[in-house]
Amino acid sequence: MSTQTPILAADKLSVRYGSFLALSDVTLSIKPNTIHSVIGPNGAGKTTLFHALTGRVRASSGRITLDGRDITHVSDDKRVPLGIARSFQVTSLFQNLNVRENLRLAAQGRTPLQALAPWRGVNPRDNALAVADEVMERLELTHVSDRAAGELSHGQQRRLEVGMAVAAKPRLILLDEPTSGMGIDDVEAMKALIRDLGRDHTVLFIEHNMSIVMNISDTVTVMRAGRVLVEGPPAVVRDDPEVRRAYLGNMITGDIA
Amino acid sequence: MNRASLHFLLAALIAIALPLFMRSGTLASEVLIFAMAAAACNLLLGYTGLLSFGQGIFFGLGSYAAGLTLLHTSLPLALALVLSAITGAVVATGVGWLSIRRQGVYFVMLTLAFSQFFYFLAYTFKDITGGDNGLLNIPRPAIGPFSLGDSWTYYGFVAVLFLLLFAALQRVASSTFGRTLLAVRDNEERARAIGFPVRDFKITAFAISGAVTGLAGALHALLIGVAPLSNIEYHMSESILIMTIIGGTGNLFASVLGAGFYVIVSDLLSSIWPRWLLLLGGLLIVVALFMQKGLWGLLERLVEALPMGRKSSTKSSIEAPIQPESQGRGI
Ligand SMILES: Nc1ncnc2c1ncn2[C@@H]1O[C@H](COP(=O)(O)OP(=O)(O)O)[C@@H](O)[C@H]1O
Ligand SMILES: [Mg+2]
Repeated sequence: MSTQTPILAADKLSVRYGSFLALSDVTLSIKPNTIHSVIGPNGAGKTTLFHALTGRVRASSGRITLDGRDITHVSDDKRVPLGIARSFQVTSLFQNLNVRENLRLAAQGRTPLQALAPWRGVNPRDNALAVADEVMERLELTHVSDRAAGELSHGQQRRLEVGMAVAAKPRLILLDEPTSGMGIDDVEAMKALIRDLGRDHTVLFIEHNMSIVMNISDTVTVMRAGRVLVEGPPAVVRDDPEVRRAYLGNMITGDIA
Repeated sequence: MNRASLHFLLAALIAIALPLFMRSGTLASEVLIFAMAAAACNLLLGYTGLLSFGQGIFFGLGSYAAGLTLLHTSLPLALALVLSAITGAVVATGVGWLSIRRQGVYFVMLTLAFSQFFYFLAYTFKDITGGDNGLLNIPRPAIGPFSLGDSWTYYGFVAVLFLLLFAALQRVASSTFGRTLLAVRDNEERARAIGFPVRDFKITAFAISGAVTGLAGALHALLIGVAPLSNIEYHMSESILIMTIIGGTGNLFASVLGAGFYVIVSDLLSSIWPRWLLLLGGLLIVVALFMQKGLWGLLERLVEALPMGRKSSTKSSIEAPIQPESQGRGI
């Protein structure tokens, strides 16, 4: 046993949208208890990779394993109880439900069959409620607990979006551009949060903000045109000539938001 | 007092008030029977976001199940009602299971297709269902020591069942199950992404809705002594949906209002003016355009306009979520 079993591994994973190959032979291995980031220009296939890993879209070919177990054909909802949770690049909340209810549902999703009993009320001492309160505290959303998610400010919605993944108490948490559209103060708070999540979770996140990526990642994967371009520790990736040409150069000219 | 108890109290008030204001026990019973069917429809439409044109199937089959049981066996009334509820639940599970494989318009089309299918089935098997004539001479046996022969006694029986079922549906709506249905209605993709097997939830909602609707259908057959073909016709599905929408889809009590309004207004107008359905169509357009919260929404606004209603109005405006601008959902 020379190497540790990865918590999540993709082997030659491909995803087709019709005739368009959005993800092509991606092989990826996420080590447990690390912070792993995925970067690359828009359209590189980063979100598609997340969709495939979480079961949102079906892999056209390739294999996904969680702790060595093949989960390629496990549906998205069944992957949550296995310990995978995610946030979305485009905010996707229960707009008409309040913040606490959003998080309570996300916490309940870990044991969804309990919620299938039509006679079970929501106990005030419900574990899911306790988790919701804890996550609200952590994401500084307690003061808007009773507001509908759709009424929150953009920054608050983005925090709740991440909170939905945290509330599932996953082992592996996938965050798709958690800071997109955030103000500077919120970005700093999110950076601190991701680093903090890294203490008791394995974190895989997509991010355009290079200061966050280079500062808190253990490993960086660079994607382009549906493929993995380079992978390695931040220092190595930063100095890779091909990455500079393909991606970072663009960023300096402001091509990437 | 919380919202649910208030709504239950209002439902009980209606059940008590109907005999005071109405001359016909049959019509009063009809109001409560359709209130059950509409509330069951609301569980799908208002709570789960499923526009089902299949409600008439469960209603009609409930009528047949009760009629056949009472005509051909000597089983007690209670058991006939239970059998109707089970029939409704089983068929609704099947119809739901197949229909939810498609979304949106295609889902609606599938429920419509099932509605036609079951109608022709009932029409074709005349030996069992009586076809066009319906299943005639369904007896209304006593329940325990109570004879239900008199129309107002039967009303009392229906009212008790109505209140029991209303409370049960309220329980379902406020359970973790019901709250998950609301989440599914709001954002199905997210509900799945946080771990809920959305299809199982939808099918269970169908089963519950089917059971209640089947029971309502049985009570209707007992009321008129016939299980008519019209109970399983497409038009029945449509009527139940209209009651639900006119009442408002926000809560279960709204369906009681919708059913009451529909049944009583139909009765009044149909004797005066045979084309009264035109008016109903007009009303439906008004509801769709200007008062999407239905009669219940109208009632809320009236209460708010009252001077003493002000205090509670500020509270209800916080409780009722403002419909936010629809945001793009996760790709
Ligand atoms: N549902 C879809 N149908 C067709 N093409 C899609 C779909 N989703 C994404 N794409 C395409 O796949 C490519 C990768 O998209 P995406 O994974 O969102 O990239 P990224 O997250 O890196 O910006 C893009 O060219 C995009 O237009
Ligand atoms: Mg993306």
